[in-house]
Amino acid sequence: MMMNFNILLGLALFICLVGLIIRLSIWFSQGTRSPAPEASAATRISAALQGVLGTIFSGRIVRMIKSLFVDLLFQERIFNKNLLRWTAHTLIFFGFILLLLMHAMSPLVSESVFSNYQPTLNPFLFLRNLFGLMVLAGVAIAVYRRLTLKAQRLRSAPSDWAALVFVGVIILSGMLLEGSKMSSYSKYQSMVEEYGSSDEEEAKALEAFWVQENGLVSPNVQLPPAPELVQKGMEVNGTSCIECHASNKTAFAGFAMAKITRPFSALLGDAAAVTMFWYLHILACLAFLAWLPFSKMFHIIAAPLSLIVKRVSGDAIDKPANLLTSRMIGLSACTHCGTCSLECSSNMFYESFGNDFILPSEKVQYLKKIMTGKETDPAVLKKMQEGLYVCTSCDRCTTVCPSGINLKELFVHARYMLLKQGMPEKALLSHFSFPLALAQNFVDDHLQALKKVTDQFKKSFQHLTDIPVPVTIGSGRGFSNTSFRGCYSCQRCTNICPVVRSFDDPVEALGMLPHQIMFSLGIGNVDLAMGSQMIWSCSTCYLCQEHCPNQVELCDIFYTLKNSALNKIEAGANS
Amino acid sequence: MKYAFFQGCNIPIRIQQYATSTTAVLQHFGITLEVVPEFNCCGYPARNVDEKAYLLPSVRNLAIAEKRGLDILVICNCCFASLQKAKNVMAKDSVLLAEMNSILAKEDLKYCGTAEVKHYLTVLHEQVGAETIKKKLVKMFTDLKVSVIHGCHILRPREITRFDNSFMPRITEELLLPTGAKSLDWRGKLECCGAALAGINNDLSHKLLKEKINGAQDAGTDFITPICSYCHLQFDTMQINIQKDSPETKLLPVLLFPQLLGLCLGLDEAALGIEQNSTISPEHIDHIKSLLGPPKEEKKKKKAPVAA
Repeated sequence: MMMNFNILLGLALFICLVGLIIRLSIWFSQGTRSPAPEASAATRISAALQGVLGTIFSGRIVRMIKSLFVDLLFQERIFNKNLLRWTAHTLIFFGFILLLLMHAMSPLVSESVFSNYQPTLNPFLFLRNLFGLMVLAGVAIAVYRRLTLKAQRLRSAPSDWAALVFVGVIILSGMLLEGSKMSSYSKYQSMVEEYGSSDEEEAKALEAFWVQENGLVSPNVQLPPAPELVQKGMEVNGTSCIECHASNKTAFAGFAMAKITRPFSALLGDAAAVTMFWYLHILACLAFLAWLPFSKMFHIIAAPLSLIVKRVSGDAIDKPANLLTSRMIGLSACTHCGTCSLECSSNMFYESFGNDFILPSEKVQYLKKIMTGKETDPAVLKKMQEGLYVCTSCDRCTTVCPSGINLKELFVHARYMLLKQGMPEKALLSHFSFPLALAQNFVDDHLQALKKVTDQFKKSFQHLTDIPVPVTIGSGRGFSNTSFRGCYSCQRCTNICPVVRSFDDPVEALGMLPHQIMFSLGIGNVDLAMGSQMIWSCSTCYLCQEHCPNQVELCDIFYTLKNSALNKIEAGANS
Repeated sequence: MKYAFFQGCNIPIRIQQYATSTTAVLQHFGITLEVVPEFNCCGYPARNVDEKAYLLPSVRNLAIAEKRGLDILVICNCCFASLQKAKNVMAKDSVLLAEMNSILAKEDLKYCGTAEVKHYLTVLHEQVGAETIKKKLVKMFTDLKVSVIHGCHILRPREITRFDNSFMPRITEELLLPTGAKSLDWRGKLECCGAALAGINNDLSHKLLKEKINGAQDAGTDFITPICSYCHLQFDTMQINIQKDSPETKLLPVLLFPQLLGLCLGLDEAALGIEQNSTISPEHIDHIKSLLGPPKEEKKKKKAPVAA
């Protein structure tokens, strides 16, 4: 079994290492390309090294050390947000790490730290069970959270469940293995041969004691064993065993599991059952190790880095090469915990538009693919572009991300990257553009993207000047707001409009003036009204509507025209 | 008295001082504001794209307030108008209401229409009242001229917002009166700041903004006092952006209404966050403070000792 173990361990470590190399090479080679500046992998690695060394040999080392304790060990960001989640993460994190150090890596760690280390002695025996239970409790909370928050738009991917199942199976299989060992007669025999006395009387008593107290299943002992025998066995146990083997009852989880493993032992034979659970446990652990770099569990490496970078740089990274790399680290640091989507201010737009990419957690999942060039389907990219744009720039996602990912920066970059490569985006013509204009990032790229969509708008509609006179009466049916019928062309709307008065030649600039749009609707020509530049130049100040002597709801009608125009453009683009 | 505090998307990340100063002022009059983390965007940014997508977020926010048994207090005009519009449409359109409630039901929410939407100025004007404000003043401005810009979506359309007389608003005047600050009559008072066109038609947006800046400066104002958060960002951020192109122009500094009132109430300056306004310089702040004097005594009080 040991030889098999070494081969399997070697294989798992090899796969893990290859995976880590792949992930690291992606960090330094991929990223938001244009409009961001390009940088070679060598430049990026050297910039990263300079950054790290510059931090270590400067006053910023203090922030780095603080981050180790506050962000990594204590997980302050989760603590501040949600106590239940923090409990789950802390239980899993500490339970797992302590098991890894004390139990899995015992030859390297426990044996060199504790001179008296024996896996069968306390406190180690008890602690192993306690740590295992901590992890299981954490996993249970995590499962509960994923199930109960589904209605609040917490998305769970198969990989999220896989990670939880993996961790759960590792711990449970370990407990089952321990349980099967406790009841195994062949295990007991080999221990007796190695450490016990040869006196037959004593051996019988010891066996009775182990059946009674330590969960052993023996073919020789009738149940219940005689109390005198057990009493005597206890004395033998005291002289021969107790120095190296504490009571199995202190390994409470394994002891409880023995009830489950006993039927297996009865069916397969106790040695075979132990071997089976051993393989289950070892394979689960090693498969997890090999899977780690290819899964979200890679956050074990990426999230601490992301958190330290955030604490040290405060989201202000000057070197473009490091910006590219930090974005890639950020993407790998995502655990798909969904905190961002739970808090996303655009969450109701997700309900309305039915586009998963409006939720930040889903954006990140796909951005990983897009950045590494794996996603090229135009339909997916179009949805992603919309998802990136339907964002109120409230920055809540960035504020709450437990991995400290600078999502805001990542999304803004990805947004203009896609807009540059991609198709016209109708959401550009919405007020989602306001915070972008305010921030003044990518000013030229924004204008180019805007031109794409306005060109498409101009192409899709007839204009007054293109139509041969006389303009005929159209059907005009299906326009919900009928208040335009009240228009008697007094032109009060046009005269009070602050936009109209902004131009020397308003008709040339705006296509049609407000009263003309009402007139166009009046003769049933909705298309003409929809194609007017005026609706996109409307500042939505409602002065026209307020001043209209006959209660025509001009501004509301303009909104309806804008909605319809965008739908028509969209339908045209898809046909 | 307690309200669910609706801050929207801009205020918590870009104009924290508007939230902290409003909270401090209202707290001074015994009104508490409860921050509700579940609130989402009011829907306004999507209005050009889809009317239903615009309404649904506000319906959800109103349902959340209902569930907490609180009325909503709003600062931002666009949030205010969106919430009021949603209430208005839901009252008329039962089919749409049912459709939206079926979406809300997934997270155990239901819109019935019981929560009211109040602008903070309405609360100050109706619930607190200019008289109470006057009594609490510890200081008063001796000579301060401000240009209030109401912002469009608080005034119009009047049937939806039901805030004040949309042609001759008097709430801001009456609230400013006891502070001694003079609210100027100026050209842009009821007009558009250009925010709704930012990022869609920047030239036009800037043109409208500059028109307001010039209008206020021509009227001889010391400060512009925007009510809406979008107006605030136009004057306090966009103004600086566009001034980069023409550095010779004079910056028009922003002073928010609760900041102005808070100074007269003697509130903690950290909460008022005046220095967080990007267009205000330390000299401006010194200047404002130098204009503060003791509150005017009422004539009746002078008579009282004589009678006694």
